[in-house]
Amino acid sequence: MNIRRPVELSMDYLVVAIVLVGVLSPFVYAAFSSFKPLKEIMTVRPAFFPHQPTLKNYQTLLLARTPIRNFPLFLYNSFKVSLGTALFTLALACLGGYGLARYRYPGKELLARMMLFIYVFPTILLLIPVYKMFSHFNLLDTHFALIIVYTALAAPFCTWLLNSFFRGIPAELEEAAMVDGAKGLTIFFRIVFPLAAPGILTAGAYAFITAWGEYMFALVLLMTSARRTAPLGLATFTAEQYIEWGPLLAGSWLIILPIVVCFLPLAKHFIKGFVAGAVKG
Amino acid sequence: MRRKIIGYLFPLPLLILILVIFLYPLLSTVRYSLYDIPFGAKEGPFVGPQNYRIIFGEPVFWQGFKNSIIWALGNLALQLTIPFGIAIVLNHRLKGINFVRATVLIPWIVPAVVVAICARWLLLPTMGPVNYYLIKSGIITHRLNFLGSLGLAMPTLIALNSWKFFPFGTLLILAALQTIPVELYEAARVDGANPWQCFTRITFPLVGRMVWFIGFLVFVWNYNIFDLIWLTTKGGPGNTTQTLPVLIYRRAFKTFRPGEASSIAVIIVIFLAALGLVYFKLLAPKKEERVIV
Repeated sequence: MNIRRPVELSMDYLVVAIVLVGVLSPFVYAAFSSFKPLKEIMTVRPAFFPHQPTLKNYQTLLLARTPIRNFPLFLYNSFKVSLGTALFTLALACLGGYGLARYRYPGKELLARMMLFIYVFPTILLLIPVYKMFSHFNLLDTHFALIIVYTALAAPFCTWLLNSFFRGIPAELEEAAMVDGAKGLTIFFRIVFPLAAPGILTAGAYAFITAWGEYMFALVLLMTSARRTAPLGLATFTAEQYIEWGPLLAGSWLIILPIVVCFLPLAKHFIKGFVAGAVKG
Repeated sequence: MRRKIIGYLFPLPLLILILVIFLYPLLSTVRYSLYDIPFGAKEGPFVGPQNYRIIFGEPVFWQGFKNSIIWALGNLALQLTIPFGIAIVLNHRLKGINFVRATVLIPWIVPAVVVAICARWLLLPTMGPVNYYLIKSGIITHRLNFLGSLGLAMPTLIALNSWKFFPFGTLLILAALQTIPVELYEAARVDGANPWQCFTRITFPLVGRMVWFIGFLVFVWNYNIFDLIWLTTKGGPGNTTQTLPVLIYRRAFKTFRPGEASSIAVIIVIFLAALGLVYFKLLAPKKEERVIV
């Protein structure tokens, strides 16, 4: 079956090794450094491993709290906003994706193209109008405003993704259930939902990740420091006179960890869904 | 008939959200660009094309325009070539390939804030590990101020941003490659073709059109980036990394001239739309005539 020569195979593994080192080494280096005491972080002769490992950076970040430097609260805010975004996005994307997969009607192509259009939309353009809109409805400085914007950013892609998953479920299954007397919502939750579960999980994870790392809209729409999300909170630490790199590295790790943990198990589905969607588009 | 109406109802909530968050702001940006609105105020006097005149008369706008093009082209070059190579390898059947494919995506999901913070620390001029290791390995002879010197900041940022977004291009190109049946390659190998011939005779002709399309997507995607630049250099030093999105943010929320910021936004939209039109209508490879190198 495999007619590739050993030389080519080893070239492949060489490329893979270079890519893995290039992707992972900055994080691993920063991770180890987050356990270093300050004098090992700020040195002209840095080492890969910490000499005297310490949890002091994490202690400073998590325990030395002031109203403007309350990282645990920022993490909680991010979690709240991201979860809200994931739920809203899933509701919209399930409806949209299912409708596009099951019904035929004029204008459907246009709708599908619109999703693509969002991809190339310059989001920077939204800053002023969205700011003014939320200020008009007295929604500035609320997490709800962020959830709405993030849902709008994530939902088109998720709809596209779920559309390809729903297409993979034979309509006959639903028709059979209908013959047996099941109603619309029952059919969706009993038959479609379980079969599309990997897709729904993936779409939810995508929305969560989008909201978790977003910076620009949080910067513009939030004012009160107690409402800051984790990326915004961490970024404001770097604006201070004296930058404390130790706690910053620790904070960076605490932001990465949850999304990597929730993403890696889903990566296979994510790639599959993305690839299916991309080829169709 | 009833089925048709139900069909429209499903995507309706999403459609409303898109209209409110994307389409309405697009229109109101055009309107704002024609008014002189003091920041925080609801309305201001209609001034016609005055904001555009101010913007076009400013060297800082033209520098931003140029920076944006350099930024987007530099990123495009890195994010199309390197991912193409990586995607070809990832498309092969290797041990543990699923793990590798997943790991490759990590830079993409890591928030820009984290990338910016880690990079600012790793690239510090005197205490930064990158400088230390580059000197130790003899690649450079004296310490470089990667993010703080006029000539180096832009290339450094382009490399950094391409590192973060190379998974995106890789995934898209991988998607394109997976449309090619494996049998084609096997047949070619039986006939004695080498890997380079496989690439020029099979891979490129078959996915060239898709890569063409991906190229535009990657260009626009990068053109619109704000957060990574703002979080590392804030457009400095000396405006050398100030792209138009950074300039828009500055105008609107730092110097409080939303009218002028809106006119820059309109210029971006017109520029990208015109570029897309030329790219797809005039320059696109025809479907029939295969691109053969």
